[in-house]
Amino acid sequence: MFHLPIQDPASATQTPAPPPVVDAYGQLTKRASTFGHVDDLFYFTYAVCIFFFVLIVAVLLFSVVKYRRRTWDQPAASNTTHNTPLEVVWTVIPLIIVMIMFAWGYMGARDMTIAPIEASRNTIKATAKQWNWTFSYPNDPAQSYNEVWVEVGRPVQFLLESTDVLHAFYLPSMRVKRDVIPGRYQTVWFEPTEVGEYHLFCAEYCGKDHSQMYAKVHVVSAAEYGARPWDKWDDSTPEAAAKSGASLYSQICASCHSVNGSAGVGPTWKGLFVKNADGSIVGRQREVIEGGVRKTITIDNDYIVESIRKPDAKKVAEEPYVRNAMTAFPDLDDRKINGLIEYMKSLADSK
Amino acid sequence: MTTNVPVIDSHAAAPQAGRKNFLNCSQGFWSWAGTLDHKRIGIMYLVGVSIALLAGGLFALLVRLHLWKPEGVLFGNVEYNQIFTLHGAFMVFLFVIPAIPGSLGNIVLPLMLGAKDVALPRLNLLSFYLWVTGAVLATLAIVLGGFDTGWTFYAPYSLYTDQAVVTIGLAVFVLGFSSIFTGLNFIVTTHKLRAPGMTWFRMPLFVWAIYATSILQVLATPVLGITVLLVAFERLYHIGIFDPRLGGDPVLFEHFFWFYSHPAVYIMVLPAFGIISELVSVHSRKPLFGYKLIAFSSLAIAIISFLVWGHHMFTSGQSTYAMFAFSFLTFFVAIPTAIKEFSWVATVWKGSIALNSPMLYTLAFLVIFAIGGLTGVILGALNVDIHLHDTYFVVAHFHYVMMGSIALAFFAGLHHWWPKIFGVIYDETLAKIACGIIFVGFNATFIPQFIMGSRGMPRRYATYVPEYEPFHQASTVGAMVLGGGVALMVFYLVASLFQRKTAMQNQWGGVTLDWLSPTPPPLENFDEPPTVTTEVYDYSTLDYKTMQTPVA
Repeated sequence: MFHLPIQDPASATQTPAPPPVVDAYGQLTKRASTFGHVDDLFYFTYAVCIFFFVLIVAVLLFSVVKYRRRTWDQPAASNTTHNTPLEVVWTVIPLIIVMIMFAWGYMGARDMTIAPIEASRNTIKATAKQWNWTFSYPNDPAQSYNEVWVEVGRPVQFLLESTDVLHAFYLPSMRVKRDVIPGRYQTVWFEPTEVGEYHLFCAEYCGKDHSQMYAKVHVVSAAEYGARPWDKWDDSTPEAAAKSGASLYSQICASCHSVNGSAGVGPTWKGLFVKNADGSIVGRQREVIEGGVRKTITIDNDYIVESIRKPDAKKVAEEPYVRNAMTAFPDLDDRKINGLIEYMKSLADSK
Repeated sequence: MTTNVPVIDSHAAAPQAGRKNFLNCSQGFWSWAGTLDHKRIGIMYLVGVSIALLAGGLFALLVRLHLWKPEGVLFGNVEYNQIFTLHGAFMVFLFVIPAIPGSLGNIVLPLMLGAKDVALPRLNLLSFYLWVTGAVLATLAIVLGGFDTGWTFYAPYSLYTDQAVVTIGLAVFVLGFSSIFTGLNFIVTTHKLRAPGMTWFRMPLFVWAIYATSILQVLATPVLGITVLLVAFERLYHIGIFDPRLGGDPVLFEHFFWFYSHPAVYIMVLPAFGIISELVSVHSRKPLFGYKLIAFSSLAIAIISFLVWGHHMFTSGQSTYAMFAFSFLTFFVAIPTAIKEFSWVATVWKGSIALNSPMLYTLAFLVIFAIGGLTGVILGALNVDIHLHDTYFVVAHFHYVMMGSIALAFFAGLHHWWPKIFGVIYDETLAKIACGIIFVGFNATFIPQFIMGSRGMPRRYATYVPEYEPFHQASTVGAMVLGGGVALMVFYLVASLFQRKTAMQNQWGGVTLDWLSPTPPPLENFDEPPTVTTEVYDYSTLDYKTMQTPVA
């Protein structure tokens, strides 16, 4: 039961954003969105709370000092059990104060819920699955994993979907949070006001690596955003594609598949392909179960594509892989899968 | 409150020599295991919930130790998730919900009403054995590999995980029945077994609080039972209620769960309010300020608490109309709660304040509950809650209520009625020291959690980004201090049973009927049935001048 925590590959390849600066009052993280009403109401409520807390503690302390029982038979200094004006005051004044908080908070939440038209025209899709985030940009085939770019000063909406369990999309610096619920779409919007790097946490418990379901949010200038910094996919040469594939591997595959032959949740990638004496790379033979029937296949591109998009179609006929289910990646585009295959083939060298 | 109990000499030491009491009237295993006496059942509950508290506390210390470093120190992620789940499930279902009603409620409620026993003693014993069954099942779930769903069992994760969810679900189901039967019993007892002359508004406030709690237990707990059954069915037969892959709705689970679990917060906290109301009055030797308002505010809280469950789901995508209603009602529940706190403070004001250990625990409660309640107001504000939801701010807030308020009230009540129940008094100096350590340790544990929560540290994290490290370390140190304080308390309480330093008949000079029965009480509580002729908390009915000053 006691063992060292496994370093999550997503966070291994990516250092978290630098610690955000604390705001002027020293309590909240410095805000980087337009939702200032959250901070305003937080500090208003905080001040009210401190006032009542100090009042309560002061009265208690004063009473304990002044009316402390010195002899066993000392009677109470007063036996008053009612004071109607006082009771009305301490009912009505808190009621007024909390109603102010209620109205203020409701207006703020409504602002945060109803996205302006500029935001809905700038919608990034965030797909949550155990335990990573995938981001798709408007009219752009390239996706980014565990990293997202937004433009400073431009309202942005996130369309949230989950492919497995509950997650929550939480950006402390932007003051936004929304549960991501399988089977329905949720939206959340904000307008970033400061360039920088920020945390995106999963805030709804989602199983084993919940705490490592992390993405870095880059708020960048319009010029930088225009350069599509999320598209880092280089497949100009097979070597470049293999390198891109290696990077994608470490983000979304490495938690289950090793490349050094060690056993994981899924089978290792080492030795999927072998290098012949003439230097050509060919797939190995493998026992699989398809539709309950055991058969031998040769590993090739089609098999890999199917295994990524529909992992249950052919299960590796070997314990424990025959039992373990793999998350499907039906939306992974051909260029990316090709990069992964090039990476698998590059492993054929490492004998 | 005065009564026709002249046989009891309030001024003497207890127990009086040669008297038979409920502790020594019979011996042997079955005289306890098969007892129908509410006090013996209460003591068995006390032992049970104390073990659950210590187990839950041990899990808490493991959680805190693990979080010493950002990458985690002790466990892998799965083990960490299991341990925090165990901490929550043990504390909520085996300790906080049954602790006060099961132990102190069982022992004190019939005494306060001037009754021989609860109305349904066999049902009472059944409740206890259901609790034991639930505890055994919960332990069995650990043996079967543990469970990692969090105590909230949120679907669909609880449907997919390969762990012992059905077993712990069964435990929760059985514990629910234990809670329902206890509630039913106390409602009937309060209605039918009040001593002659004890009108509703002459009932001590502890009775009012237990009564309001019981109504909640009977009305809300079945929903939890149905919900965990549905989860079990969903896991076993794949019906499609909560599982989105089968067309179910996971948010429906949240509604069902919080429809019970928000009232459950008040099932947990109302008995604590009851204890504090008693203790503030007795140890200030002053009638409770605003008795009727406190009694009604218990009922008001009980009713409103059924209408605020949605505030656990402000980020779940509920409509702005739902948010409007739930936030409004949530703020509304703050008012009766504030009235209680103000009334307790006003009772202390100009009282005759005894700084003994029950009162110190009570004062610690008043300070901590002020923070727990006020931070609840911060969370009630919709836009602020969106930022703070599911962070350590929420964790700190509900620990200020669950641990800082309810457990401290339980400790206060335990110290208050300990001499009544066992006829012995604990080491008062150690008790004061332990109270101080617990107070300091508790605040040191949870104040850093408020700070990191408001800076965005999410809850249920096995690892975390390095910027939160100092707060986690401060919190861990605080938790160790808190654990030490609780260990000291357990030590001197248990030791007092062996030292047998005799307590007074009426250790604190209380005037409710529980103090006017012999100490420790005989099997059927009173030598002759008491009648009530004066108002509650009338301290002029006792002549303190002729009473022997208590040793402690």
